[in-house]
Amino acid sequence: MAGAAVMTTWGLSDDELMGQCEMGTFKASGPGGQHRNKRESAVRLRHRPTGIIAQAVEDRSQHKNRASALSRLRTLIALKVRKPINLEEYTPPVELLQILPLKSTIRRKDVGPQIGPNNPKFAPGMQALLDLLFAVEGSVSEAAKILGLSTGAVSRLILSDDSLRTAANELRAAKGLKPLK
Amino acid sequence: MLASASASASFLPRPKPKPHLLKRLASALTPPSPLSPSTGADPDPDQDPTPLFLRPPAHPVPAPSLAAFRRRAAALVPPSAPHLHRHLRWLLADAAHDPDADPALLRAPLGDLEALWLRHVRDRRPFQYVVGNEHWRDLVVAVREGVLIPRPETEAVVEMVGRVEGFEAGWWTDLGTGSGAIAVAVARMLGPEGKVFATDVSEVAIEVARLNVQRYGMQDKVQIRHGSWFEPLEDLKGKFMGVISNPPYIPTDDLPGLQPEVGWHEPKLALDGGKDGLDHLLHLCEGLSSVLKPGGFFVFETNGNKQSEFLVDFLSTKWDSSFHDVEAVLDFADIKRFVTGYRR
Repeated sequence: MAGAAVMTTWGLSDDELMGQCEMGTFKASGPGGQHRNKRESAVRLRHRPTGIIAQAVEDRSQHKNRASALSRLRTLIALKVRKPINLEEYTPPVELLQILPLKSTIRRKDVGPQIGPNNPKFAPGMQALLDLLFAVEGSVSEAAKILGLSTGAVSRLILSDDSLRTAANELRAAKGLKPLK
Repeated sequence: MLASASASASFLPRPKPKPHLLKRLASALTPPSPLSPSTGADPDPDQDPTPLFLRPPAHPVPAPSLAAFRRRAAALVPPSAPHLHRHLRWLLADAAHDPDADPALLRAPLGDLEALWLRHVRDRRPFQYVVGNEHWRDLVVAVREGVLIPRPETEAVVEMVGRVEGFEAGWWTDLGTGSGAIAVAVARMLGPEGKVFATDVSEVAIEVARLNVQRYGMQDKVQIRHGSWFEPLEDLKGKFMGVISNPPYIPTDDLPGLQPEVGWHEPKLALDGGKDGLDHLLHLCEGLSSVLKPGGFFVFETNGNKQSEFLVDFLSTKWDSSFHDVEAVLDFADIKRFVTGYRR
C-alpha cells in the first residue's frame, strides 16, 4: 500500500494522527455529553486515509484505551503502509539506524543504543526497514549491504519481532521469495 | 460474618425462578418512567458517604460465597444489556481487595453488594454511583449522588487548556466544578505559579471536589470556593488566564426523556439549562470579560451544534469588542460541543 495520500501519515503527532481517525464506537450515540451515561470504554479507531483499524478494550478508562489504540494504529500503519524509496539517493533515516545492532558499519556513534522491539520507538524503525526491504524487492542481502550489516544480522533483526517477521515475509512472498524463519 | 453472608444471600432470588425474574426486570428496564427509589426491603448500603472503592477491605467472604454472588448477579443481566457483565467485573474489582483470594476481603458486606447490584440492574442507578468513581482521563474521580458524573466528551477540555500558550503559569477557574475532575486534571498540568479556582453552588459538589483534590495532592494548587458561578471570585476579577465551564445545558423540556441513569439519578441542578438550555451559558458569557485578563482564554461545553453556533454568533457580535477568535470545536462524535475564544 503506497500513494500520495498515505505520505501524510508519517511523523504525525498523536493529535494529528487522531485527527485522521474516526472513533467508530461513538457515532451512533445521539446527543451525547450531559444527556448520556453509557460508558463504552472500548475504543475503535479507523484511520481514514488508509482504512486501517485498531482497537483497545482492556482498560476501564476510555482515555487509556484511546492511547493504546493509537499506539497500535501506529504499529499497524508501520507494518502495512510503504513509502517509496529512491535507492540511488537513499540514506537510512535515524529511526532505522536506531534499531540496527551496534556493529552496523553505517551506524554513527551519536545514534545511541540499539532500540529493541519492546520500545515504542521500534515502530518507526520497523516501518523504515520494511520500506527499504520493499525497495530492494525483498532481498535481505541487498538490504544488508545498504545497512552495513551481514545478511545474517539483518535476518536476525527481522526475526526479533513477530509482526515485523510476518510483514517482511508477506513482502517477500509477493516477490516470490521464501519466508525468513 | 459467615452467618451474615448466608443470611444476606437470600436477598437475591435463587436461580430457579430466573426466567420469571428476568422477564419482570426486562419490563422494568424498557420504558423509562419516573421511578421512586427502591421500594423493596433492600437497605440503602450508602448511608456511608465514603465511595465504595475507598472503604477499607474489612469484610472477609469465603471464595465460594463470592462466586455464588457472582453467578446470581450475572443471571440478572438481561440480554439487551450485555455491558452489565463488564460492570459486574468492575464492581468486584472495586469492592474486593483481591477478588480471587479466599477469603476475599470486601469493602462492604456481601449483602450490601447484593443490594447495590440490584439497584444498578433494576433501578438503573448509575454504575459510577455504585462503586463511587468514574475513570476519566488518567484519573479515578470519586463521585456520589448529588454530583454530575464526568463525561468522556469533557476530557477534551483539558487538552484545550494545555494548548494555551503559557497556560502552566496562569490562574484558571473551573466554574461549576462538580466532582472537581476538570480542576484536578488541569492542576496536575500546572507549574509552580499556576492555580485553579473551582466554584460550585452545591455543597455536595464542594465536598466531593475537596476529596478529589486531596486524593491527588492538589491542595496547594486548587482552591475550592462555595458559591454561584463568578460570585465567589469577586476579589480575583481580571486575574484569570482562563475560564472553564461545563455548565448545565440541557433544555428543561428534554429532562424527562433522558436515559434513566441520568434522568432518575443525576442531579437536576447539574443538568437543567432552562428553556433553551442556554440560561447558564449566557450568564457565563455576560460575566466573562470582567473575569478574564486581557489575552485570557475560555472554553465552555454545550449541548451541541445549535447552542455552540448560537454562542459563537452571540459572542462575535454583541461581545465583539471583548473577544476574538471565538469558535466552535468538535467532539469525538463530530458534534460542535465546545465554544472557545480569547479576551482582547
